This record gives sequence, C-alpha cells and structure tokens, in this order.
Amino acid sequence: MNVNGFCRIVSKKLPQQFAYKRIVTFSTKPAQQQQEATVSTPTLPNNNTPAARKPIVPGHYRFVYPEFLPDPKVQWRNTVREKLERLDMLARRGQVDLPEFYVGSILAVTSSDPHAAGKTSRFVGICIHRERCGLRARFILRNVIDHQGMEVLYELYDPTIQKVEVLRLEKRLDDSLFYLRDALPEFSTFDENMEAEHLEEGAPVPVNDIKVVLRPRPWLERWERQNLLGVANIEQYIKDKHRKSAAKVQKPWEKYDLMKQYRATIPEEEQKEIFAEVHTELHTLELQRKRNKRKRSFIKPKQLA
Amino acid sequence: MNQADVSKLISQLRIVVRPKNRNLKNPDGPEGRLLKLRKTVTALVKHERIELYYNRADEARGYAELLISNAIRHGDRHKPTMELADYWLLEKQLVHKLFKVLVPRYDNYNVSYTRMYKAPRDYPGMYYKKSVLELRGNPYPTLCADQTQNRNLLHNVLLDEARKEFRREKVADLANKLNVATEAPKKTVEESSDTIKPTAI
Repeated sequence: MNVNGFCRIVSKKLPQQFAYKRIVTFSTKPAQQQQEATVSTPTLPNNNTPAARKPIVPGHYRFVYPEFLPDPKVQWRNTVREKLERLDMLARRGQVDLPEFYVGSILAVTSSDPHAAGKTSRFVGICIHRERCGLRARFILRNVIDHQGMEVLYELYDPTIQKVEVLRLEKRLDDSLFYLRDALPEFSTFDENMEAEHLEEGAPVPVNDIKVVLRPRPWLERWERQNLLGVANIEQYIKDKHRKSAAKVQKPWEKYDLMKQYRATIPEEEQKEIFAEVHTELHTLELQRKRNKRKRSFIKPKQLA
Repeated sequence: MNQADVSKLISQLRIVVRPKNRNLKNPDGPEGRLLKLRKTVTALVKHERIELYYNRADEARGYAELLISNAIRHGDRHKPTMELADYWLLEKQLVHKLFKVLVPRYDNYNVSYTRMYKAPRDYPGMYYKKSVLELRGNPYPTLCADQTQNRNLLHNVLLDEARKEFRREKVADLANKLNVATEAPKKTVEESSDTIKPTAI
C-alpha cells in the first residue's frame, strides 16, 4: 500500500517537474564576455568546449545550500532517491521560507507544538551545528533561558516548522560550536525579543571572530585536542599531560591525504549538475524573498493625534 | 548521513575509485602509509612507468591523478598546491617536471592521466598480484601488443574480402576491355562504346 501511494505521488509529480526543469536548467549559449574575448583574439582555441562557457549557477551555492549535495559515502548513494529528495526539498521550500544561515548565525524558529499555549512555540538561539543532507538536514539552536542552557534540534525540512527567521547572519571561526556548552553562559545568551539585523545586499557574510571564555574543567569534550580557533582561555586549564596527549592525537598529514579529501567531497562536475538542476527554482524563491523583504521594510506611518 | 565537505573543490577523477582506502599494512599507521605512497608517486613521476604490487599501485594511482589534476586546476602560483607537490614529490626537481612537463601534456586530456595494467606474477614466488603503472603519453613503446594487423581481426577479414572483390572486378574489367579491343576492328566505334558502358556502371 505504501509503495502504491508513493508511486502515485511520484507519477503525479515527476513529469511536470522534470519537463519544467529540462527546459531551463543551464544555458546553452556561450557567455558574453567569452564571445568578446574570442572576437578580439580570433586565434583563441577551444571556443566550443564546455570549459569556455560561464556557468550560470553562482559559486557560493554550495555554502548556502550544502544539504542539496548528497552524502559522499559511495555505499549510501542512490541517484534516484537523491533526485526525489531534491524535488521534495524544493516543494517544501515553496511552502516555507528557509533562508540562508550558517553555524554561528542567530535564528528564531517558529514551529507547531501541540503542548504550547497557542499551539506554536518560538525559539531564539545561536546555530551551533549543521549536519546531514537531503531531507534529513538538521541544525541545533542554543540559548540560555532563566540561567539554564537550552538546545533544540530542528530538522530543516520538518513540516511542523512554520517560520525560520535569521536575526543575525554571520559565521564564526569554527565549523561547529559545541564548545559553547562549556563556555560561560553569557556567550550563548541571546535576547528572545531580538530585532532582525539586515545585511546589505551582495555584502559578504561577516565572520564574527569573538573568542569565548571556557569555564574550568571538567568539560564535555577534550577541547584542547580539537584546534579550536574561537576559544580564548584553553591554555589556562590544561596541564602538560593534556598537551602531550593532544599532540599525540594530531593528524598533520591529513591535509596531504588527497584521496581522503576526495572521498569526503562531491566532485565539482557533479556539484554543477546538481545545482544546475535546482538553480532556477532556488533563484525564483530568492527573488521572491527579496521582494517580500522590501515590502516588509516599508511601514505605513501611523496617525498619532 | 553526513554533509559533503564544501570547503574544497576537486575535479572528478576519470578512474574507478574504491569506496574505501587500503591500509597497506604499516607499523606507522596512516602516516607511514602516506610515506610509502609518496615513494611510489615520486617514482611514477620520475620514471613514467613502474612495475609494482597491485594494491600499492592502485592506491598510489589516485594520489598521482589528484596531484596532476590539482596542478592543472590551480597552476604553480597557488600556495597549497605547491605545498602538496612539495610533500608528494620527494625529489624536488620533479616539482618542475610536474608543472612544466606534465601540466601542459595533460591540459586537454579527456581521459585519466595514468594507466594501469595487470602484470604476470613470478612463479614460484610471492603470491601478491602485480601490475604496471604508467603515465599516459610516456616515451616508451606501448605495453599492449598491436593487434590492428592481426589477420583474424574481423575488420581485417572484411577488408581482405573487399580487396579481393575489388581485384576480381578489375580483372573482369580488363578482360572485357581486351575482348572489345580484339573485336573492334570488325565492328564500328559506336558499338564498342555500348559494350563497355555496362561494365563501367
């Protein structure tokens, strides 16, 4: 029965989506700059190779939408499932606005909650971790409320999520901020009624180089072994034996292990294919978001007297 | 399910990549493994064709491919690529060879930069499989025997038959002409031209 249902949904959805996509996924015309270059120097070779064409998918997409890239583990790859998941993700993004955010950004997530008073709950916090890909993409928000550290794990494509607001768009120095759990509470305390800060359009995402202050041991993890950039006082609490054991577990050769890096990434050609497939719809969603933002920024003046 | 690492962009390899690496039994662990593979990669870049055990060749092949593809992608002005070349090539004159010889050679290639053959193992001897690893476009004679002149290759059989048929036709043509020439004095020129036409068609 399940399979039947799935097939029905797929057969309804697939033809129109694919037909739509086949038309507008990528440009078949060479870019204008390239044309000019070839006109000025007519002896330039390889005019028609794909390398000479300028891709229309912007290069920052892999940072903004990392969950569209599949898991690089070969045993778990399934191109059909990945494609279907991408369609579902786009469908969900059409229903709810899921903006660009990074580890270190401050978010407010409104989600349905059967036990809350108004049936919805809003949680404000700093994103300390992003993981998993496809429909399973998820992130953790952390905040300190009434002197108690709180963390909520949200699935990005969870249908109970009603609204995701980015209150402050920024990055931190590290890839995940689990060390905030062992830091002083003021470093993960954020006002619940915080106003959203607007970044200028086209400006690069700022990197907040704040260094957090850890409280003394015992810690949840051995932070001294993780080469953290965003921690100020790690030296204060560790002894020689910690330093020695930390030096022992370092893996300085890993930056030269090319095959290990290759197995952990999706190659560029494949990334291009994937983002060419979803680019049009993501781009229209982005434009829509921009339009809405402009609408919101204009507030009708109130008559006071 | 983990997210793919997006901090680096790597070109797709044109060889089959195993899902997991081989550990290549080593007392020094993964670091020792890389040291071992460095020697192989250096030898490959230096000699362009080497014979060694299959497992080690297969592991080293990926590293050599990525080293060359990174060099092509970033060029010699890119610091991380230069560090990589410095690490992987133990003889430093080979860094020059990588950027000045191999990069121009492989710039327009659509296939892998290396080739690997299975080699026969010595008997009696070590049981391990052996192989030959080489860079494409090397100056040595090819390892595979040239089969294009084989008499039994289907193309050659067909070509032979076509040649035979062509010759047969020529001979028939010649014979016709001779016949016409011998009969010509008896008949007029118009008639002789009529007899030739059908053979020409």
